[in-house]
Amino acid sequence: MTDHLGELAALYALGILDPDERQSAEAHLAHCDACRRLLAQAEADVTAMVAAQPQLKPPAPPVRWNLRALAVAAAIVVALLPSGYLLEENLAMHRTMLADSAAIDRVMSTPHRTAAFSGTDAHVMYGKDGSWYVIVVRGVAAPLHVMWPHDGTSTMLGTAVPHGDVALLYLPQSHRMQQLALEVNGHVVGQAQLVF
Amino acid sequence: MVSVLAVERLPSMRAVPSDEALAAAFAAKERWAFDEAFTRFRTLLYSTAYHVLENAEDAQDCVQDALARVWRSPDAYARSRGALRSFLTVCVRNEAITRLRAKMRRRRMEERVATQPHEHAELGVVDVIERDRLRAALRALPEDQRRPLELAYFHYKTHVEIAQELNEPLGTIKSRIALGLRKLGAALGANP
Repeated sequence: MTDHLGELAALYALGILDPDERQSAEAHLAHCDACRRLLAQAEADVTAMVAAQPQLKPPAPPVRWNLRALAVAAAIVVALLPSGYLLEENLAMHRTMLADSAAIDRVMSTPHRTAAFSGTDAHVMYGKDGSWYVIVVRGVAAPLHVMWPHDGTSTMLGTAVPHGDVALLYLPQSHRMQQLALEVNGHVVGQAQLVF
Repeated sequence: MVSVLAVERLPSMRAVPSDEALAAAFAAKERWAFDEAFTRFRTLLYSTAYHVLENAEDAQDCVQDALARVWRSPDAYARSRGALRSFLTVCVRNEAITRLRAKMRRRRMEERVATQPHEHAELGVVDVIERDRLRAALRALPEDQRRPLELAYFHYKTHVEIAQELNEPLGTIKSRIALGLRKLGAALGANP
């Protein structure tokens, strides 16, 4: 899109553009300050509408996992955490695995390794080709950020949300990560060294 | 191989950052800003998703996925986009609408409304008063601006669908929605 957004800014903020129009608008926004300002106003208007509706207290973190994460987590739970506590969940996860053969194939077909996080009861299982990682943490109450320290910085890869006293996170990746760290509230609580 | 991880930490004692400072830090991908934004806007973002999806678990998934996508995308948010609060609200709402449309392909709206009870008891108490803030502001708009805006906001119809339903030219509908939204935002005290 080379034209300015104009009235489309309002439609964008309301979420009612077609996917193609939305993509074009985003391409234009990448290099047009005037349209970014216009959109900022429209987004503020929509936010005012949302804020004028009842505000609801969020319940406890969600239990649901996406299918792929569930399937892989099931494999990991079986491998790393064969505890009675998880038996029922393992059965449920097993059923999910059957419905998500791609994830099972990936885990089963890729040679994998495990590494422990120092400082906490946590493990990571990962494909030797660096294509997937699953982090399992036990005895946690708060969500943990999984970080990738590299090149003098640290990138957040995702958040492991506790279910019961276990937090799981599946990370499909395209590269080999030599180190991982776990953080809670900005503080490192565990570190793992990975070997490929 | 053992190496020291150079991981930035949050200062244990720090002042609560202003919205502007938080937005700047979020744009600069400072990790504490993600946590702070999630905490500060959690109720608004969850409410945004819930009002579209009407399911607590779906709403939480939606907020988490939308924020994770924004955080992982290198250029998703820049200060020139305006207030972080509004930006995140619209991201979450758009994600929720996308999910709802996918869901609606499998189930009709009427069935959804009839079979899905509200999970928030507070809706029964505050609904009349609180929702009226939005409804009252909408009622103040001229009919030709109010109706298309309602179809967009409450029924998630595209501008093409709205034009067809109201039997008006597409350009007219776009103009009326844009005009109505700006008037409504001004009436509700919106600040970019």
